[in-house]
Amino acid sequence: MPDDIAEVYRNTYPALVRFLYRKVWDAARAEDLAQEAFARAVVHKPENTRGWLFVVAANMARDEARRAAREKRHLTLLKSEPDAVHTEPEEAIDADRQRSAVRAALEQLTPRDREALLLWDAGMSYDEIATQTGLARGAIGTTLARARRRLVEAYDAGIEGGQHAARG
Amino acid sequence: MPHVDEGTLHAYLDGELPSAEGKTLEAHLAECASCRATLEEERALLERASALLGAARPTERPAPPFEQLSVPRAPRRSPWRVRTPVAWAASIALALGIGYYLRQPSTGPAASAPEQHDVALVQQAHERDKFAERFAQPAERADENKPAPGTPRSRAAARAPSPVPAPAPSTVAAVAVPIPQAPPLAVARGIAEGVVKPAPVAKTDSAAASALIVDGGIVRQQSAPSQSRNAAPAPAPALEYMSTDSLTRGAAGVSQATSRQSVELRGRATTTSWPIISRGTARSLLGTDPVGLPGLARQIRRSPAADGTVVVEQRIDSATTIQIFQRQSGTAALDSSAKAEIAPADRLARYLGRLRVEISGPLSTDSLNKLLDQVQPLP
Repeated sequence: MPDDIAEVYRNTYPALVRFLYRKVWDAARAEDLAQEAFARAVVHKPENTRGWLFVVAANMARDEARRAAREKRHLTLLKSEPDAVHTEPEEAIDADRQRSAVRAALEQLTPRDREALLLWDAGMSYDEIATQTGLARGAIGTTLARARRRLVEAYDAGIEGGQHAARG
Repeated sequence: MPHVDEGTLHAYLDGELPSAEGKTLEAHLAECASCRATLEEERALLERASALLGAARPTERPAPPFEQLSVPRAPRRSPWRVRTPVAWAASIALALGIGYYLRQPSTGPAASAPEQHDVALVQQAHERDKFAERFAQPAERADENKPAPGTPRSRAAARAPSPVPAPAPSTVAAVAVPIPQAPPLAVARGIAEGVVKPAPVAKTDSAAASALIVDGGIVRQQSAPSQSRNAAPAPAPALEYMSTDSLTRGAAGVSQATSRQSVELRGRATTTSWPIISRGTARSLLGTDPVGLPGLARQIRRSPAADGTVVVEQRIDSATTIQIFQRQSGTAALDSSAKAEIAPADRLARYLGRLRVEISGPLSTDSLNKLLDQVQPLP
């Protein structure tokens, strides 16, 4: 019996957007993709809607990342002038900087660790993460412990490095 | 109990440790200060990691109403999507170019209605390419998808405008086939011009001349041969053929007498009532082998008027049947027909050995001409 998709939508949409955001790093795009994933779920009516959604979302995000990488190559070629001076408030700049640092730190994790961490953060249980990633359920705790440690370490290292760079 | 590993501690902190294991762990923690310290470290790490992830979350906006999701979303723009219109434009431009080029031999003077003409020919041009391959030498039709060796498309196209009847059966003829699903544009245009509906009143030749351009393979589709043949021998189907005829004759300014003579012969397009005869009977009627397109199924009928006319009906594809009328030359009609034969615009009739052969079918004049070139004595 398929889940009630409308119910899953209410419960899972924000988590799915968050999950996608950490992959595409664009809020509007993450929302688009999340909605598209739900729209597909409406059509496909999967058994386990939540799990299905995250699999589909992960795939979409991966395609998106590939596309973005291609576009970036083009943009790098086109980009000749530095961006206009930002006039954002300092808090926004701080938030931006922190987000970039977290992003950089996340990207230093292994794909499997990162996936487990993001799925956990999206509200998935160990069982669900195990199904999703193919890891043994007993290994999820260890995986998450390692992922968290690496995230914090990489973040701290990045901030420090950034400060060194700023000073130097 | 040995000290607890960090994985277990994280599972415990996450509330995901099975209850039995959780109790064992708690019992151990109560006794082991070292593990309690580790637990607090891991808790701090976990909270820190959560906070970092929290910093990297999008500003949460309320989810759009669920119902909105079923509305088809605008498709994601892929790089190809952007280029599709350009590709279409190129195709159309190319087709128009080919169509304009190919119309020269048979309908040159019909510039009075160039617009419909182009529309019709665009579609013919598409089909022509396809069909030219299919209608290659019979021996090679087995592999329909490959162009016959030594007969590249360009050659078929280059040959198209030639006004000289080339008998060479080994050459691929460029042939247009009516498109079974005629694009609505052309049909709509035809309807607007009043061409499609069965004409209750005979049109004059000049009126037919404008109709017949659309007729070139498109609007004719509306009155497919099976339909017109099943209908009672009313003036309508005859008119159709007449209009085709006048394309080449009337428009080219060939004498009306010639035109009428041909209409006479081709007006018999309603042939379902004609008796079916064997090839041997046809041979005795004609005094020679009946002619047709090699390699296609055929049905031979004779005129009920016992005037020695035989028609060979052949299916080119599931939707298209052509008729090849033939009779011994040397009848009274010969003189005026002979004149028509000389006129370069008239290739709907030709002489083959002792036979006068005329072709008709729901194809463009140009295509019929090409088919006529392929006609040869049937085995």
